[in-house]
Amino acid sequence: MKIRLLNTRKLALFGILAALCLAIQLTPRPPNVEFTSFFTFTVGAIFGTLYGGFFGCIIMFVNGFLSPYGFAGLVMPFQMIGMTIAGTLGGVYRRLMPEQIDSARFCAETAIVGAIIALIYDLVTNIGVGFWFVIGGTNFALAMLIAIAYGVFFSIVHIFSNTIVFGILTLPSIKTLNDLVGSEKIG
Amino acid sequence: MVEKRALVFVTLVILVWAISISSLAAYFYFQNMMYTKQIGENQQSLNKTASNYDELMSKYNILLGEYSMLYGIYSFPSGNFTSLIESLGRLLDSLKGNYSSLLMNQEDLNETYYTLKEDYELVYKETNVTGEDFGRLLNEYYDLFNLLVVRELSLVLSETVTLNVNACIDYGNGTTNWRNETKMPAGSSLFQLTQKIAEINYTYYPSMKPGHVLVDSINEKKTCTVGYSEGWSWIWYYWDDNEQNWISGPVGCDAWMLKDDGTYKWKFEHWSWP
Repeated sequence: MKIRLLNTRKLALFGILAALCLAIQLTPRPPNVEFTSFFTFTVGAIFGTLYGGFFGCIIMFVNGFLSPYGFAGLVMPFQMIGMTIAGTLGGVYRRLMPEQIDSARFCAETAIVGAIIALIYDLVTNIGVGFWFVIGGTNFALAMLIAIAYGVFFSIVHIFSNTIVFGILTLPSIKTLNDLVGSEKIG
Repeated sequence: MVEKRALVFVTLVILVWAISISSLAAYFYFQNMMYTKQIGENQQSLNKTASNYDELMSKYNILLGEYSMLYGIYSFPSGNFTSLIESLGRLLDSLKGNYSSLLMNQEDLNETYYTLKEDYELVYKETNVTGEDFGRLLNEYYDLFNLLVVRELSLVLSETVTLNVNACIDYGNGTTNWRNETKMPAGSSLFQLTQKIAEINYTYYPSMKPGHVLVDSINEKKTCTVGYSEGWSWIWYYWDDNEQNWISGPVGCDAWMLKDDGTYKWKFEHWSWP
């Protein structure tokens, strides 16, 4: 696999996005309404799967220690995996995107991708929560099922908020960032 | 024709929907399971309480029947009380046999029982038992019997009900200790609460009622008297929610039953007489 090195401009942009994303992530907000997956997906779409995955992973690592909800503990590795998947999906989506796509369709598609990212992230992190139950002595399968079932209301909020955030923000963000780094046209 | 890309996104939407709904269904399934389990446990607890109640009432009816028979003979004019005293002895033994665990666990009741038993022994030794002595013993027996029934009923209730009470100890020198949200089984008396929250010494007065206990010291702070006309004693109060005021305890602390969310206070205070 060939990894393209970032030029100075892209590197600076990557740093700025990481700082901005962390600042928003560490700001107190309603549970499961977040912008990190959006930023990670966007970084993946602009810089590629590898940088997108790295971006999500590092953001969740820092968040695990500094989150306003406290130290993430055992769930932190699962949060990192979940966000890595979000970044990777950004890169994959960019690759699978047709050369010409109209704005409305792009917004609808990214809204759906936002929902699926929220779902995958929640499933992965709920598995992490399930491990707490397993440590507590619950049967593995039952522990996972309970963790997923009891996280469903948070998941619904997350899916709903991500659908809106991705649907509204992805198009202008990618357009602006593309102009900054100089890449193919979207929309 | 629907293009392939559109189909993929429609599939993704359906996937999100299906997983969310399945999780929701699982959530309600687990909730239902939990509630069913809780209802089952509550039902079991209620059944146990009902069964204990039945047992208690059967015992009560038998003892009350025996008492009633003896009381009938006692009430009948020109009765021979010397020949009846042995029946009273059997009644006392029967009482002890039926309420042995309660008498063993509740100090004040145990003391009342043994005081009555001692009185009985004294009267029993007399060659000629008077109607007055016999009547007094029979009354004391009946009081104790009723108290035992009330306490045992409360104990049955305490298997499903726990009381939360607040207690305060005012040492009269500006120091006040509060013990809020103290958990006590239903049917507990203020005496039992005080024993739980503090180190106490007390004296049992058989002739005093209702309630036979006077507290001599709480947490090593002792009562004292100067002659017979004044002194310092531990007085108890309860908080009256309607009057929004502390009311002085009208009975001995061992006769006062706690109520849920009740607030009680022991105060070390000066008294003088007249």
